[in-house]
Amino acid sequence: MTMELAYYPGCSLHASSQLYDIQCKMVFDNLGIELKEIEDWNCCGATAAAKTDDFLAIALPARNLGIADATGLPEIMIPCSSCYSRTLVSQKRLSCDPELKNAINAELGQKVEGKIKVSNILEVLRTKVDSGEISNKAGKKLEGLKAACYYGCLLTRFPCDVTVTDDVENPQGMEIVCKSLGVETVDWSYKTDCCGASASVNDAEESQLLMSRIMKDAAARGANCYVATCPLCQFNLDAYQDEVGKKYGIDQRLPVYFITELIGLSMGFDPIAMQVDRHLTDAMGLLKELKLI
Amino acid sequence: MPTKTLKYDTSNAKSLLREVAERSGQNLSACYQCRRCAAGCPVGEETGVTPDRLVRMVLLGDREEALNNLLVWQCVACYTCGTRCPNNIQTARITETLKQMSKEAHLAPLKPRVADFHSAFMQAAGHHGRFNEIEGMRIYEIKTAIKDLKKGGVKAVFDEMFAQAKLGMTMTKKKRMHLKIDKVKNVAEVKALYRKAKQGKGE
Repeated sequence: MTMELAYYPGCSLHASSQLYDIQCKMVFDNLGIELKEIEDWNCCGATAAAKTDDFLAIALPARNLGIADATGLPEIMIPCSSCYSRTLVSQKRLSCDPELKNAINAELGQKVEGKIKVSNILEVLRTKVDSGEISNKAGKKLEGLKAACYYGCLLTRFPCDVTVTDDVENPQGMEIVCKSLGVETVDWSYKTDCCGASASVNDAEESQLLMSRIMKDAAARGANCYVATCPLCQFNLDAYQDEVGKKYGIDQRLPVYFITELIGLSMGFDPIAMQVDRHLTDAMGLLKELKLI
Repeated sequence: MPTKTLKYDTSNAKSLLREVAERSGQNLSACYQCRRCAAGCPVGEETGVTPDRLVRMVLLGDREEALNNLLVWQCVACYTCGTRCPNNIQTARITETLKQMSKEAHLAPLKPRVADFHSAFMQAAGHHGRFNEIEGMRIYEIKTAIKDLKKGGVKAVFDEMFAQAKLGMTMTKKKRMHLKIDKVKNVAEVKALYRKAKQGKGE
């Protein structure tokens, strides 16, 4: 039976991280879940709004929540950690502040009701691991991969009290999904540390220092790849790994896979169709070496 | 990094505390300086200022330091501090609030590029309703280049352009650049929210 999920890709997945959008659709379709992209969504404002404008930080995701509520679907999945965090925080804030909610709704065609459940990608995937659907569809064991599951900041830490769906300091969702695919995971200390996010653009020294700590630990634990769900975490480690490695004397260059790439490979999808060849740090070599493709 | 001695300004303390508490929604008085936030702060070592210090600055009424320190600019919004606070103070909300107050007080940003990036991002996101990476980067690069050139920093401009061009070329080669501009059809609604935000600030 096909299940429908409302879907908010966010700006990254329509631009530099389009491969993640494509992979999400392929993987969820195979799991019998139709991702219904909400109509005419806007940018969530990300960290820039939180840093500069308290009203827009709540109002921009609110417009998307109004559109999502109007679909009548019970749940919306948001793969980007930043979009997910900002949307969840907006929904929570509006539920506690009716005055603000009215002020924002006055501007919106589709009003926020606050009824739709906002989910991250791991929440949804974990239910499919538990139900056995992932192991049914993703049969190929990805032996030889030793993954450092990298969560970053915004999947488990929020600037207000919301229900956190995993352990805050030592989340396990990604490990659970990886293990169901036959991927070995390493225990490491930097899985929820910050990559610097947009500091990679505006404060490179700082973000490179933060990434170097992550890279050193992943290498020391013997990981041969990273797995990520956040497009910005993925992009930073993918795009700047070589530069940071040279600066800080770290030799290893590890592919940074989206969780959807690993599930897709295990489902037997063509890596080129999933655009695995478009990573900025080579992601095909390891798969060939391990005879996984 | 040596810690600065903070000034206790009795005439300012109460009003500053009230303003920051109201705007951030955080009970700063609950801080008992256990410094768990400081231990978790990934940028504290470089900035020399940790979230517990921000709270002290506000409680003591040292407005000048509170609005003008490196943490306000270099905080990466990882939210580790607030998650670890035993009294549930979301210190990152305090940082965000102080950053906004610093801008309202027309103080020169200690990290101009951070300020320029956030403002370029919001400008680009408001233009079409969705953030276009190329447009956002263009606005940001122009802002920083103008500032660098004013300071006579031709080399800084060149270095920045070179780094961005290099990344741009790699991204193009890997087909990660998307030239198509994604637009919200009902962008008027997004712009109405931007207007309301401005009105709220009395701009």
